Amino acid sequence: MTWVNAILQGIFLGGLYALFACGLSLIFGVMRIINLAHGDLAVLGAFLVWSVTVTAGADPFVALLPVLPVMLVLGYLLHRTVLARSLRGGPLTPLLTTFGLAIVIQNGLLQAYSPDVRSLGGAAGGLATGSWRLTDQLSVSYLGLLVLVVAVLVLGGLHLLLRRTRFGREMRATAQDPDTAALVGIPAQSVYAKATAIAVATATLAGVFLAVRSTFDASSGPTQLIFAFEAVVIGGLGSIWGTLTGGIVLGVAQTLGATVDPQYSILAGHLVFLAVLASPRGRAVIR
Amino acid sequence: MEIHATRRDLLRATGLGLTGTMLSACGGLGSDNSSDENTGTLKIGFVSPRTGAAAGFGEPDAYVLDLARKALAGGLTAGGTKYSVQILDRDSQSNPQRAAQVANDLINSDAVDLMLTTSTPETVNPVSDASEAAGVPCVSTVVPWEAWYFGRGAKPDEKNAYKFTYHFCFGVEQFHSMYAHEWPQVPTNRKVGVMWPNDSDGNAIRAALGPLLEQEGFTIVDPGAYTNGTNDFSAQIARFKAEGCEIFNSFPIPPDFATFWRQAAQQGFRPKICQVAKTGLFPSQIEALGDLGIGVAGGAYWTPTYPYASSLTKAGGKSLADGYRTATGKQWNQQLGPSLALFDVAAAALTATGNPKDRAAVARTIGTLDVETPVGRLRWGQGPNANVVATPILGGQWIKSTDSRDKVEFVLVENSSDPNVPTAAKLQQYGRR
Repeated sequence: MTWVNAILQGIFLGGLYALFACGLSLIFGVMRIINLAHGDLAVLGAFLVWSVTVTAGADPFVALLPVLPVMLVLGYLLHRTVLARSLRGGPLTPLLTTFGLAIVIQNGLLQAYSPDVRSLGGAAGGLATGSWRLTDQLSVSYLGLLVLVVAVLVLGGLHLLLRRTRFGREMRATAQDPDTAALVGIPAQSVYAKATAIAVATATLAGVFLAVRSTFDASSGPTQLIFAFEAVVIGGLGSIWGTLTGGIVLGVAQTLGATVDPQYSILAGHLVFLAVLASPRGRAVIR
Repeated sequence: MEIHATRRDLLRATGLGLTGTMLSACGGLGSDNSSDENTGTLKIGFVSPRTGAAAGFGEPDAYVLDLARKALAGGLTAGGTKYSVQILDRDSQSNPQRAAQVANDLINSDAVDLMLTTSTPETVNPVSDASEAAGVPCVSTVVPWEAWYFGRGAKPDEKNAYKFTYHFCFGVEQFHSMYAHEWPQVPTNRKVGVMWPNDSDGNAIRAALGPLLEQEGFTIVDPGAYTNGTNDFSAQIARFKAEGCEIFNSFPIPPDFATFWRQAAQQGFRPKICQVAKTGLFPSQIEALGDLGIGVAGGAYWTPTYPYASSLTKAGGKSLADGYRTATGKQWNQQLGPSLALFDVAAAALTATGNPKDRAAVARTIGTLDVETPVGRLRWGQGPNANVVATPILGGQWIKSTDSRDKVEFVLVENSSDPNVPTAAKLQQYGRR
């Protein structure tokens, strides 16, 4: 039963990883930028939600409603003002830009919010600590299930957006060949800016869930970035749904590894990541 | 999403990212080597984590530095000569490489006469190592002394491993004494579920504290060393529940404890005593847990009820806590005590040395120093070895604050390693307050 619980908790954890990973996957897929500031943007979102929660005394998920549009706009402006310029400088420039952006965000947050650790878990009340106890050893936490459902909805929504809408077609066309897409009247920069806006908004969602699960401070961003990378690579870059699979595989690997011995938890995740890279499927994708 | 991107693209781009990181870490080379030859000025370097993961420790530094600078504004008299004193504070960014770099800059470019450093092995050990190598006297605190003394390469039977670096802090023996006196205050089955991480603190505690607690009649249930930054603790919780642990002990980083403690609530693990170290030091870390934080037990190396005062600034106890609140609007924080104590040691060592510009002489003076500080009277030479003074850590519990300005407050429940500090209450079972 311990193993069943480990797998269940791993799936819930995978939902969080997938939520972190999808923005990363989207930006890389459309623009070929590894956004090293992704984790820090998530933490920035969590801080804004925290501010609204404290000043308005609101539930964190209510506080998310005004913050999400702000982060969408922020993502849009981020591309228009910073990323678009750096994209013109070759492949290394955007990477250094996002690396610098990460440092700026971390230190800006430290200045604005002090180094105190914070959490949204207290404000979320019973949601953060409550669960359905199926048996003594098997429990479904409200929060874990909520994260998983939100991850499925966000990734499903993105999938439909890319597959079924005009904007999705434009995004896919731009991702394949921005110059040819421009010939038929699709402005690449506008598509990029909207993709960045969506990615930053999903990062905010992930940041808020992390903040409800745990605590966060100005330097919390980079820790989660590595797991998001692994989820993206394990799931493959071919499909949005792959990100969900990748996150869940990573989460389950970590919880199963921990059931064998806690010191194998993170290691098990890394090993699955390497195994996927070395597998025939992985080699087939690496051309 | 049909997007032409391969894993190789991603990895290539990631590799570029890592290169960028390393490039930036190499920045700051080639700083100018102009040293101040003004012999009438004594320079004190102060390195602490002001940003990065351990920034919480550095929070009160600005206030303490301000107190020290005011107290030293008139200079110091040593060997009949009056010296002006300059304090150069630097941020280690919670990063060992950066800590070593700023320490070397202070030594080589600024030619400091004395180095002070505090908080976590990541900052303190590299600064101490750089000072030892350069022959600059260095005083440090807030790293368990074993992690500082043995962590830097001293052999178990060595009693005088370092010539220039000195330390004052609690160690495993003080933790042992605290837990042995605190846990029996609540009736339990004496089964202790432990989460000791796979880092220098966790492994030192596993090797040294575990056997001592078993001698006291506690059963240690140790699922194994986990990696800091783990996001799921279901395996440990299942084990603790299966073994029926009624005491929980951990030395985690703050986010790991929050993740664990919420999952424990979700999965129905509710020990009678929840004793944490390394996290639960500062009010913000407990406030962040919401209702789950009330009743968590922790340790303190300074509280406003310590009956000692700084020999340099005369601040201590309640006046130090009140001064900090007036200046910053924040609740007291136990870092105030040891950070101010560093400057007491610095002033005492420099004035007691005939020629405070003689680094070897200053180092020898520290080895025999006897000085009053907010954390108590520090006397080097009394053991556990020539470089270290073992200071107390006292057990306490976080309760809902009785002061309307604060959410939580820390009350001492145990004072075995310094009976001069009064206790305010008995340990209460978790969830009973």
